Amino acid sequence: MTQSAFTKPPTGIWSIMAPIKGRIAGAIALGALSAATSVGSLLAIPPIAAQLLSESPDAGVIWRWLGLAVVLVAIAFTSRLAAFSVSHLAAFKLEVILRTAMAEHLAKVPLGYVVTHGSGAIKKWMQDDVQSLHAFVADTTPLIGQAYTIPALSLVVMLATDWRLAIATLGIVPLGMILIQLAMHDYAEQRDAYDRANEEINGIIIEFVQGMQVVRTFDDGSSSFARFQKSLDRFTQTLRDWNAKSQMAGRLATLLFEPLPTLLAIAAVGTWLMGQGTLTLPRLLVFLLLAPRLCGAFKPILTLSHLLNQSKAGALRIGSVLAEPVLPQPKQPEHPQDASVTLSHVTFFYSGLSDGDRTALQDVSLTIPAGTVTALVGASGAGKTTLARLIPRFWDVTEGAIAIGGVDVRQMTSETLMSWVSFVFQDTFLLHDTIRDNIKLGRPDATDQEVEAAARAAQAHDFILALPNGYDTIAGERGSRLSGGQRQRITIARAILQDNPIVVLDEATAFADPENAALIQEAIAALTRHKTLIVIAHRLPSIMNADQIAVLDRGRLVERGNHDELVAMGGVYSRLWARHQEAQNWELRGRASTTVPLRNTHA
Amino acid sequence: MLKTYRRMMVVAGSYKPQLQKALALSIIASILQGIIFALFFPLLSALVASPVNFQQAWQLLGLFGCLVFVEGLIRWQELDFSWLTSTDVAHETRLRLGEKLRHIPLQALNQRRSGDLNVVMSGNVSELVMWIGSLATLVIQTAVVPSVAVLVTLLIDWRLAVALLIFFPLAVPIYRQMRSRVKTNLRKSVNADADAASRVVEYAQGLPVLRANNQVGARSQRLQTALECQRTVQRQGQRLVSLPLITMSTLVEVGILIIIAMGALFVVQGTLSVPALLALIVIAMRFTEPIAQLVGLTSVFDLMEVGLERIEAVMNIPALPVPPVPTALTRFDIHFDQVYFRYDSHTQWALQDVSFQAPARSLTALVGPSGSGKTTISRLIGRYADVQAGAIRIGDVNIQEVDPAHLMRSISVVFQDVYLFDDTILNNIRMAKPDATDGEVEAVARAANCYDFIARLPEGYATRIGDIGGTLSGGERQRLSIARAMLKNAPIVLLDEPTSALDTESEVAVQDAINQLVVDKTVIVIAHRLSTIAAADSILVLEDGNITEQGSHRELLANRGRYTAMWEAQQQAQEWRVVA
Repeated sequence: MTQSAFTKPPTGIWSIMAPIKGRIAGAIALGALSAATSVGSLLAIPPIAAQLLSESPDAGVIWRWLGLAVVLVAIAFTSRLAAFSVSHLAAFKLEVILRTAMAEHLAKVPLGYVVTHGSGAIKKWMQDDVQSLHAFVADTTPLIGQAYTIPALSLVVMLATDWRLAIATLGIVPLGMILIQLAMHDYAEQRDAYDRANEEINGIIIEFVQGMQVVRTFDDGSSSFARFQKSLDRFTQTLRDWNAKSQMAGRLATLLFEPLPTLLAIAAVGTWLMGQGTLTLPRLLVFLLLAPRLCGAFKPILTLSHLLNQSKAGALRIGSVLAEPVLPQPKQPEHPQDASVTLSHVTFFYSGLSDGDRTALQDVSLTIPAGTVTALVGASGAGKTTLARLIPRFWDVTEGAIAIGGVDVRQMTSETLMSWVSFVFQDTFLLHDTIRDNIKLGRPDATDQEVEAAARAAQAHDFILALPNGYDTIAGERGSRLSGGQRQRITIARAILQDNPIVVLDEATAFADPENAALIQEAIAALTRHKTLIVIAHRLPSIMNADQIAVLDRGRLVERGNHDELVAMGGVYSRLWARHQEAQNWELRGRASTTVPLRNTHA
Repeated sequence: MLKTYRRMMVVAGSYKPQLQKALALSIIASILQGIIFALFFPLLSALVASPVNFQQAWQLLGLFGCLVFVEGLIRWQELDFSWLTSTDVAHETRLRLGEKLRHIPLQALNQRRSGDLNVVMSGNVSELVMWIGSLATLVIQTAVVPSVAVLVTLLIDWRLAVALLIFFPLAVPIYRQMRSRVKTNLRKSVNADADAASRVVEYAQGLPVLRANNQVGARSQRLQTALECQRTVQRQGQRLVSLPLITMSTLVEVGILIIIAMGALFVVQGTLSVPALLALIVIAMRFTEPIAQLVGLTSVFDLMEVGLERIEAVMNIPALPVPPVPTALTRFDIHFDQVYFRYDSHTQWALQDVSFQAPARSLTALVGPSGSGKTTISRLIGRYADVQAGAIRIGDVNIQEVDPAHLMRSISVVFQDVYLFDDTILNNIRMAKPDATDGEVEAVARAANCYDFIARLPEGYATRIGDIGGTLSGGERQRLSIARAMLKNAPIVLLDEPTSALDTESEVAVQDAINQLVVDKTVIVIAHRLSTIAAADSILVLEDGNITEQGSHRELLANRGRYTAMWEAQQQAQEWRVVA
């Protein structure tokens, strides 16, 4: 096992940088060094000026000071370059660390977490959110060193040079601060209003764009455009209100932090002090050179602040992914005795949705003997899929237990469990790799003959041979070249090769490709032969021969038996059956006059 | 540069004069700033003179103060744009984008992922407008202030002016080189990112299988390789970019050193006065901030550039041509007359020489394998895009001669997936006919079998869709969409697999609702289950964009062609049992 990068999940932008904190500290220090040397190089100017102003300038002294300035600028340049490189390389390293940590973590959390969020969201976390940290980690950290060093150092130098002028210079800063405070006095409140308006406008934009397709089938979009326009107006008004309140102080602050007012103040006070005879020109020069930098030092940080906000949001999301509790692993793993499945008093609700009526499954008990076929039936939302997914431990049950071959699934390692249960769902998964390797994913040590046998059984051999490189053809990402049915058959071949004793099947897969339904159906037959089979059933005729049919209704097991028994019972199943037959016989008729009774096209 | 300016003006829209004014003010303020800096020459001269010429110094300081005040006033005016007008620009830009989306062909809308358009309308607009004022000002300041300073220097000492002139423009080629390196590397890193992203997607999708083989986390070779490759590209890019970037930010410091060295030499030679040199140093120092900021904001520039490009791309989509004198539809039979259609960016015809007629109030079914052109036909009736050859007529009128809004009012569409707005149930139905009374809406809701489930909702018809989230089932959503279509009561109804995604229980209710909807309408239906459309007046069998068979169910079965094969395959699949 690789050592986890974090001892506890990060909670913010600083703790997420923990794995590279040494480098970041280095980058900040180098940034500070470059700032210090850069300011220091300016201090060579007044002595040079003093020499030049003296009666007999000493060229040697001038060149020495100039030489020192050159050295300091060189150091500033080198350390700035180093700070920049260190922080960027550290940021890149952090990206790999975070992505690997998330990949590791996602392998340990309940599969249900992965399935419900979907690969799109996971891609966003692992790519975009991690990337959003870059601006902060790489670009901002060296600037932090500069932003604190320059004002502090300038201040010390200025106070040492002439405290009166220093105070005159600093007068500008508090004035600016007060104005900024004024501009932001109800910042939190305004920000809230703005955030709400912003959220609303984003929601409306999404709705406008996504709904456009539908809206356009009604009119030219004028109805939803009016909605869009109304909330856009609201948003703009909020923004205007905010700006109206803060603009005065904001503009004043912007103007004050320009170098000119500071220079003016220094020149005026300096001239006055010189008139008093208590200030020399070289000292005044120190201020003319340093003071504007003091005011300017905050600027880059302010301009990068919106990137920082993005980084913060990304860090929070990454933190919450890494904080997702992992699926507990047993201390002493056990192995199942046989391929039977037993559910005893299983109750389950999705965490976060535990508000009573959102219970997905309630006290379900069901015994599935090894080698039998059990169908799960019920309206959408009845709990069929949830129940099927609890067996391979997509989530852990809230109450009760699920056992395979007498062993609680929570007492097995993930590897053991996954080697007992295969599942074939509608969403096919193919690697961007050869067809052969895609099938071998079920059993990496399988021989070519075994792969081919599995493909034959899955009705895939023929079309695979027809591909340009046969088994060595690369399966296109998201299947640009393979049809849905072909992809389905490759995943079935994988499951056949895997040969796990228990198969969980979503029946809809049998109809994934309407043109080739018969081939997929044969493939499924090959996969499920002699297995314990659990089918999530949508079409009733296909499960008429199942050993047992479990009928679910709003999370409860309401009926159980075979087809004939259940039809005879006259309950939920028999009603579903009647509905099914009615739906099958639907014939669309356009004219009002036609009242011909429906005829059974099955006959 | 000029391109960016032109684009900025396009985005500014009707606020173009305000933006131009802000830019002009910025130029004036910057020139003024250059002149103010030049005041340091006489000021320092006065202070260096012995005895110090205080009278002149205070006069100069007075002028200095006045000019700073005037410069402040001008900047204040200029900030009008950032603080006030920019909000209106964003508003107008969003409205213009919104308007655009209403009038482009649906095909163009479909080609763009809705996520992209969201980003353009919300993110890009904010980014642009937030920065458009401040960045333009910054660029102007960086260019104008040094130029003025160099001009003034020229009056003092031409040698130093030449030194400045040679040195500071260096920033331009260095900056250019950095930008071009960034761009080259961007392409590489986009590829590496895309590769890593697809590996991540693959990993996420494959987790169940990968877990079984213990190929997860750091042991997932494929993922690790892609991540490492991404890092390598990033490091390469880093190496390329950092040197010019840092060189630029150190440029001013080195420039000042050169001025000091040259100036000291000239002073010692007696060809330059000390105050002139000192003033020059003070002025040159002021070039530091704008250049440093410009470097720091490179990423913002990129954002803005990209934002401008994307907004422009949307704005440039040609709108669906609208006839100057639209013809109204009076009859509702549909004619396809040797229609050829190809989707944008496709090389193959989606429809080739397709001709058929659907008489008014008849039922026409489209069948065939996926990709054969069924959906294309139904889309083209609503003028999804214009055909390349041939004509589609409703009544005797070519649909290109009809006002698109009028055409859309004549057609109801029921798709597999239903889009509901975050509004009340009542309003979601009413959008089909904004002036419908509550009674009318409730009547169609009843007719579409919606009444039962609406009655169960916490606030009935007043329940907001957003408040009940995903609790409506597919069948319930579908019935709402059918109620909408009923309220609209358009003479043409297009049905695209309306029940294929539903479970048995809702299917019957939806089927009932559709039966109500299609009465006395011209109906075009795409249905996979052939038994559904066996009673159609005409069935068109499509293959590869061609109509290969055409006739009633009975006629087609007698043909013993493709339709018969499909029919028999379906009968067989219906019989399928999980356990043989």
